[in-house]
Amino acid sequence: MIPWDKLHGAMTHFPIALLLFSTACDFVSVMLRKLPFARELRSVSLYALAVAALASLGAVISGIALSKGDLWGRGDFGWHHRFVWPAFGLLVALAVWRLVVREAMSRFGLCLYLCLMLLASGLVAAAGYFGGELLLSGGGVP
Amino acid sequence: MMTPLEIKGAMVAVITSAVILVATFTAGGFYRTRYETETQPGAKPLATENLAVKGRSYFLQSCAHCHGRDADGGEDAPSLLKLQISSAHMALVIHSGIKGEMPSFAKKYNEQDLAALVAYLKTLH
Repeated sequence: MIPWDKLHGAMTHFPIALLLFSTACDFVSVMLRKLPFARELRSVSLYALAVAALASLGAVISGIALSKGDLWGRGDFGWHHRFVWPAFGLLVALAVWRLVVREAMSRFGLCLYLCLMLLASGLVAAAGYFGGELLLSGGGVP
Repeated sequence: MMTPLEIKGAMVAVITSAVILVATFTAGGFYRTRYETETQPGAKPLATENLAVKGRSYFLQSCAHCHGRDADGGEDAPSLLKLQISSAHMALVIHSGIKGEMPSFAKKYNEQDLAALVAYLKTLH
């Protein structure tokens, strides 16, 4: 039998950490654009975001298996999902957009991208928070 | 404003994201329907009845001393009658426990045993 609870716990941390890291790299590269390694930081953020999107597939698949396909639920379980699905959709969309556009971003595109990265980070952090609450409260039954 | 490449990228991104989300929800829905069918009272009368009987014996063995023999609650544990959560959620709570309140039964009961317990709890609705 596959221990989905342990697999989900192990897999979810990669997209969370990589997305937050990618967002941080983007902001540092924009704020300190005169740094000699600002361009490298943008490359690092691109690859971190791409790996985060790929890793999120594993996290989602193990989560679906763990919850037996219950994609909404109630209490903390429901709150976890209310943040997970927009975060997952946004993460995939941002990674695809970034891979298509790469360095050819307009000023407006960059601003929009950074705002959406912040939003995705917030959603992922909230999903992670309620996921942790689920672990501590054993399902957060209301 | 956005460049043509950015607009093209945005369209590809939205379509990819939408396709992945639809596939995820379809797969999840399919999985859930299968699981709910297996643990739904009356869906497969004999199999589910046997499962619920087995679940009742597990319940008496591990849960009744806190939740009461009829699952109507005890001094330290709530009633389990008319639970409003899904089968998957019930299985998750039994599996993981509730920190400081209820122990985890992950080591004691495997997936089939949890399905039996859930099938029993659903008969209490």
